[in-house]
Amino acid sequence: MVLLLLIVLPLICAGLIVFNPREQARYIAAGGSLVSVIFGVVALGAFDWNASGTDQLNVAIQWVPSLGLELALGTDSVSLLLIALTVLLGPICVIGSFTAIKEHQKTYYAWLLILQSAMVGVFCARDLVLFYICFEFTLIPMYILIAMFGSSNRRNASTKFFLYTFTGSVIALAGFAYVAWQHAQMAGAWSFELAALGETARSLNLHQQSWVLLALMAGFAVKVPLFPVHTWLPLAHTEAPTAGSVILAGVLLKLGTYGLYKFVLPFVPEAVLEYAPLIAILSIIGIVYAGLICWVQTDIKKLVAYSSVSHLGFCVLGLFAVNSVGVTGSVLYMLNHGLSTGALFLMIGMMYERYHTRSMREVGGLGSKMPVWSCFMVFFVMASVGLPGLNGFISEIMCLVGTFQSAPWTGEAGATPGGTFGMLGPVFAAIAGTGMIVAAMYLLYMTGKIVWGSYREPEGHHEHEELPTDLSAREIGVLIPLAAGCLIFGLYPAPLMKAIEEPVNDTIAYVDVLNTGNTGRHTEWVRVDEASHDADHGGHETHDDAHDDDSHGDGGGH
Amino acid sequence: MMISPLLAAADTAGVGVAPAWVLAIPFLPMLAVVLTTLCAISKNKTKLPAWITVGCLAGSFVVTMLAFMTLSGETNTVTAWRWFDLSWGDGVGQQMVANLGFYIDNLSLLWMMFVTGLATLIAIYASEYMEHDVGKGYTRFFFAFALFVFSMLCLVMGDNLLLLYLGWEGVGLCSYLLIGYFYKKPEAVAAAKKAFIVNRIGDLGLAIGVMLTFVHFGTLEYAELFNSAQLQGYIAAVQEGRAGDVPLMAQLIAVFLMIGAFGKSAQFPLYVWLPDAMEGPTPVSALIHAATMVTAGLYLIARMLPVFLVSEWALPVVAWVGTITALLAATIGMAQFDIKRIMAYSTVSQLGYMFAGLAFLTSTGGVFHVVTHAFFKALLFLCCGAVMHGFAGQLDLRKLSGLWHMKGWRIVSVGMLIGCLNLAGVPFTAGYFSKDMILAEAFVTPGYGYSLLGWVLLLTAGMTAYYTFRVFFRVFTGPVQFEAGDEHHGSDDHGQDGHAHEDHAQGHFHPHAPGIRINAVLATLSVLAVLAAGLYFVSPDKHGWVGDMLEESTAHNVYTADHSAAAMFVIDGDTHGAHGHDDHGHADDHAAHGAHGGSILGMDPHKVMYYVSAVFGLTGILIAAWAHGPKGLVSGFIGGRVEAGKCRMDGVAAKLGPIPRWAENKWYVDEFYHFILVRPLRVCSHIFHMIDKLLVDGLVNLFGYLPRLLGRGAQPGQSGVLHGYALSMAGGVGVILFIVVMVTL
Repeated sequence: MVLLLLIVLPLICAGLIVFNPREQARYIAAGGSLVSVIFGVVALGAFDWNASGTDQLNVAIQWVPSLGLELALGTDSVSLLLIALTVLLGPICVIGSFTAIKEHQKTYYAWLLILQSAMVGVFCARDLVLFYICFEFTLIPMYILIAMFGSSNRRNASTKFFLYTFTGSVIALAGFAYVAWQHAQMAGAWSFELAALGETARSLNLHQQSWVLLALMAGFAVKVPLFPVHTWLPLAHTEAPTAGSVILAGVLLKLGTYGLYKFVLPFVPEAVLEYAPLIAILSIIGIVYAGLICWVQTDIKKLVAYSSVSHLGFCVLGLFAVNSVGVTGSVLYMLNHGLSTGALFLMIGMMYERYHTRSMREVGGLGSKMPVWSCFMVFFVMASVGLPGLNGFISEIMCLVGTFQSAPWTGEAGATPGGTFGMLGPVFAAIAGTGMIVAAMYLLYMTGKIVWGSYREPEGHHEHEELPTDLSAREIGVLIPLAAGCLIFGLYPAPLMKAIEEPVNDTIAYVDVLNTGNTGRHTEWVRVDEASHDADHGGHETHDDAHDDDSHGDGGGH
Repeated sequence: MMISPLLAAADTAGVGVAPAWVLAIPFLPMLAVVLTTLCAISKNKTKLPAWITVGCLAGSFVVTMLAFMTLSGETNTVTAWRWFDLSWGDGVGQQMVANLGFYIDNLSLLWMMFVTGLATLIAIYASEYMEHDVGKGYTRFFFAFALFVFSMLCLVMGDNLLLLYLGWEGVGLCSYLLIGYFYKKPEAVAAAKKAFIVNRIGDLGLAIGVMLTFVHFGTLEYAELFNSAQLQGYIAAVQEGRAGDVPLMAQLIAVFLMIGAFGKSAQFPLYVWLPDAMEGPTPVSALIHAATMVTAGLYLIARMLPVFLVSEWALPVVAWVGTITALLAATIGMAQFDIKRIMAYSTVSQLGYMFAGLAFLTSTGGVFHVVTHAFFKALLFLCCGAVMHGFAGQLDLRKLSGLWHMKGWRIVSVGMLIGCLNLAGVPFTAGYFSKDMILAEAFVTPGYGYSLLGWVLLLTAGMTAYYTFRVFFRVFTGPVQFEAGDEHHGSDDHGQDGHAHEDHAQGHFHPHAPGIRINAVLATLSVLAVLAAGLYFVSPDKHGWVGDMLEESTAHNVYTADHSAAAMFVIDGDTHGAHGHDDHGHADDHAAHGAHGGSILGMDPHKVMYYVSAVFGLTGILIAAWAHGPKGLVSGFIGGRVEAGKCRMDGVAAKLGPIPRWAENKWYVDEFYHFILVRPLRVCSHIFHMIDKLLVDGLVNLFGYLPRLLGRGAQPGQSGVLHGYALSMAGGVGVILFIVVMVTL
């Protein structure tokens, strides 16, 4: 029931905003989103973490029985964590917009809340039609937020955003429809339940799976966005209002990776293995290419926007490593990127409110003028760079390790104990790893311009009437939950990993089952404990020989 | 029953559980981080952050000593909390576990002791040195300082490679924050950025090495890694002369780890960040960029020595790179005029010696040099810092002279002299013993041109002595002359016009001699630097105290017990076939080395090196005395300098043509990198940006525009934009599909 409330409550608040005076709009929105946070906490508490792989907190309402349609809600731990992220970002966006939005407040806050409902709906939908409706519906509020509250080029940006992603989704719909049709053919009745459709999709042959994969990729890759269908994102990000950018980076992009995780991996595992190298190559190109483009930006918001393209390359790479480390890393990436990049957009918004420019040529050296802002900025930059101890590192290194492990040859019997079955490998990981260097280059370039150096302000700059020179208490309050999240997930991610271990391993299992001849590959590596080692040392010689015979392809000496 | 001697200690001793109080060692600095953060939040404008930091670091040092007394000789681990914890099966390698756990053995204890000890001393020094920034950057400084110590302790204490990586990047962050401490100076910002990015290049190598280790051995934890049958099997194979049996992947691990080590420890070709890092406050240069952080690479190799030993090329590459770096940095150091930069290049150079030492299979020598160098180089930097502090930022040795004779500068001068004697390798100093151990081994260990490297290192030792005493003779002896620098901090308002005067500016500028805290720290370090020589005489049968310590660790001294084994390995790699290792297979006396060409001028290197290196060192000092020394007894009556700015070397340099200028400009390595790396990459990025705008996005827009063009004839008023974009999208997807089809067909 709590899931339903999480969807309905923002809608009710949006209704309240419409029928109440303009001045109250933001307070209703803040109250509504804060109550949602409470419900979110309730959902986290009610969830049985020991059965994190099964859908819980289910709600099922009959809808169109003849077509097998029902409003099915439910959540496993992965979905729940993403819901939690969405709900957490809600009040942050609302409260963060208090001073930035002066006109059409009712429209703004109402659509912001509606957007939250739609996003929660995407994550907890357990019925394909409901999922798709919510997935598409997120476009409308976002379109309005950009088109009405964006910067100078907002019309162009919002149209492009809408049509680009919409077209992709339509192709994905065709893929879904194909699977549903196949299911109807096989089972004799229509159903849009995810589990049943997954079963059907997996039974398709490679050729059919490939088409489904491509159709779904068309929808989700645009959303992620994957190179080369990413060009809508920098434009949309740059033009969107701060809260729009935060939600876009924080949650909307994750709809793409979530779609890949939830539909592509379990539905068409054979095709995933087939196309993994290709998609990985696109991801890696995205990582390096977008990273380098960041490096020559002067518009700070565009820089962070392109960095999302680069970062989400890691996320997709981890998914297509199709092993536990990679997919776990990828899921964590969705959460962590939401926190750190969302925070960076908030930071930029706060600067923009004061200086009315996003150009690093016009403004800079804020370290002396806005020390508190600068501290947060450096902190979130470091989280984004992937500094160990902060959240970005955890997911980034896991995506890379997963990619590294997943070589066709490391997974072979006896090759290496740490290898897993997959289609990528060390070369992919090593090239993607250069993204870490590039990330340091552009983010420190940005920090060097905007935080360090001597103070520069745009011509004719005067202090904001409402806001202090440095951050206000409200702004600090908005940033602290994000900073705390970055720090805690960076230092103590083990509970998160455990929480999503089961659903991730279930997903992997669909792919791993294709790895025939994989049985017992780990049995020959036995850890030497001290006792047996001392007592029976002859064993270790033969053991070693066995290994040498088995390891092929590496080692020039035999 | 044959147990690999390398791992005998680790095996038989086993891995125990350390008591929980050991956790205080890394977490006391963490407490200081938290408390200084609170100081910043409460806008504290006093010196409180300094005293918090000093207190916590001193506590950490005391606990470390306690740990040393109770736990040395054993291998223990203790876990604070779980960090990475993931499993996907029950087999070996089917989990990724990396805890916030600590691994206490002699190797980590050694590092922990000098890190916490020096950090405490330098924090006291910095509390006075940074006084002019109280209420401004003071809190920020000590925040980063404490965070550095925490990260460094994670690096050396972590019980797995990922925690090492955390410390590794954590010290990089603190280095970044502290180099850029004076963030209004563009050079400081640029230097900080450069340090971080160059280090990141090395870090990528380290990350790949860590991932390779994980994939190949299925674990990230030292305890499991070093006890794994796989690794022991490889070591056995190497010892039995079957080096080729070690799979390529296992051999590559060391190569990638090495790249990481080169980045952090400023070795060729990644050394360029360290000299620039001198933009940071001097206590930072002393602690981070001389004594501790830059030795992280050495720690990595010492810790992972078993993995390095199974790689055919890793250690020879380390030897060559170390030697080249030592020589290159020394040549640059000879031509610099900024005394802090000279010390920076000498750090790079000395780190080269340490790497070479590890590669010559004398982990004792390498690590001993780490320890002695930590003390005397920190001392040298702190002395330079005192000079800089007192003379308003003046660091040019042409503008300072005769500090020995000035009131209040005696302790600094004596400290400097002790540091210089050590660095120059004058007999019976700590630096002399530790350097000799490395040099002798160059002639003993067979390898690809190692004896050539030995001669190069000897020559470099002479150069080191020269540039070291060049500084000492110029700045501390001779007539009292000085010019103020252009920084005027504190109450000193006269500093700025000091520049206008050719000669002494005493009339305007009053240098302020160091206060009690700086002097106390300098005196303490001087004593420690002298006493460090005594470590060589503790347990002489094991090559000194350090050798004794390392025997019980993964960096177990190959020097004595299985030199022959490692030597064999090199010979195998050297296409000499497998001849000869039966005779030497288990020999553990030095005589056996003779058979491998281990001699210098026909004598046993271990004995004769004491004299040879002393000759090189003293020659260097004599040249410095002749060229830069003042008239009189101090320079042995061969010097002739009478004023600060002129010396005999000016004439010599003039005869050398452009070479001194090239050396002063660091052989234009920075410019070269800029030209072949940064510039093309920058151009490439601009091109990508253009491609993105014009081609990738342009294609999309073109598809958006086409239907409008087509529709214009039929229905001019139609809002074709929407459709256009839809089509453009389809076009974009079509491009992907096309690529997919092309690739898969």
